[in-house]
Amino acid sequence: MAQSNNLVRMITGCKSGDAESFSQAVDMYASRFYGYFYRLTGNREVSNDLLSELFVKLMEKISSFKGGSFESWLFKIASNIFHDYLRDKHRRRKLFEVRKRQLASEVTEAKQFGSERIDKLQTQLGRLDADMRELIILRFYSQASFKEIAALRAEPIGTTLSKLHRGLKKLRELMEECGKSGDQVIR
Amino acid sequence: MNVRNEENLKELFEKFVGGEQAERAVEDVRKGEQILREHPASEPDGELIARIKAEIAASLQRKKENAFRRIVYKTLVVAAVFILLVTIGVELFEKGRSEPERVITSSIIPEAVWESERLADDDADLATLIAEIEQIESELLAVQLGENGGNGHEAVTELEMELIEINSDFWKG
Repeated sequence: MAQSNNLVRMITGCKSGDAESFSQAVDMYASRFYGYFYRLTGNREVSNDLLSELFVKLMEKISSFKGGSFESWLFKIASNIFHDYLRDKHRRRKLFEVRKRQLASEVTEAKQFGSERIDKLQTQLGRLDADMRELIILRFYSQASFKEIAALRAEPIGTTLSKLHRGLKKLRELMEECGKSGDQVIR
Repeated sequence: MNVRNEENLKELFEKFVGGEQAERAVEDVRKGEQILREHPASEPDGELIARIKAEIAASLQRKKENAFRRIVYKTLVVAAVFILLVTIGVELFEKGRSEPERVITSSIIPEAVWESERLADDDADLATLIAEIEQIESELLAVQLGENGGNGHEAVTELEMELIEINSDFWKG
């Protein structure tokens, strides 16, 4: 209840243009949205840019928030930002090149610093269908209900459930396969 | 987060698949999400967070300044329009109060004739006309009396023509 009151106060503050309230929103959501963008793009720099863009958009659009779930509303904006990013051909090409370089460097880094677990997940997420990957990441980071996610994606809840189930099952299989092959390499 | 925790996944899946299948689906979802929890994404840099906050603060400041500037401009425009309207109003009011201009009229009748009490004396044309009529009258009388020789009928006709001519000249002005 207290958290809900804080959220209402924060939203009201943001609507009235209070910098402190925006600062509070950044503290509250930066980590989750950074994770969301990072898992979608696999690139730190791009995630930084998209996160900055999200808060700029929050500032621009806060007056249009008419109630309901604030987090779902914010995730809708984040999703649009990500799709705009994908639509940008130049950046898309850049992402591809950077991603290639990054994967190579991440593998080296993982071997050097033992952050193997993070890289493994990112690599396996990259092997999933783009829509499925986005759904899994949205579900995990938004912490929204299936009903909210289905509404956000403008699709029937049955479709959302089925896609997420298949996606997570596939991800688990891929991770297990990867683990086995990793073990074999180590042996 | 709360909304999601309250969600009964099994019930939700059971709406679309059988009980056993729903149980397996719920298990798959839980295990899949467990993998994501075990592999957290890296956190954003503190520097990035500070930069975002600074950008927001600067942008809000700019917005406030722009809003203030807009208010000042609007006020100035309204004041200018008000002053203009008042000036125009005063001008119109002053014009309305000034003396009416003299109406200059003209007439085809000369002023001397218009203001005359004895028209026959003051209007030269009329005097001439009267003299001519009197002369013709006397000539006509003489003709009727046969004072100027035998051809009286022609002379009458000639006089009548002259009268008609005078008449038409008179009306032509």
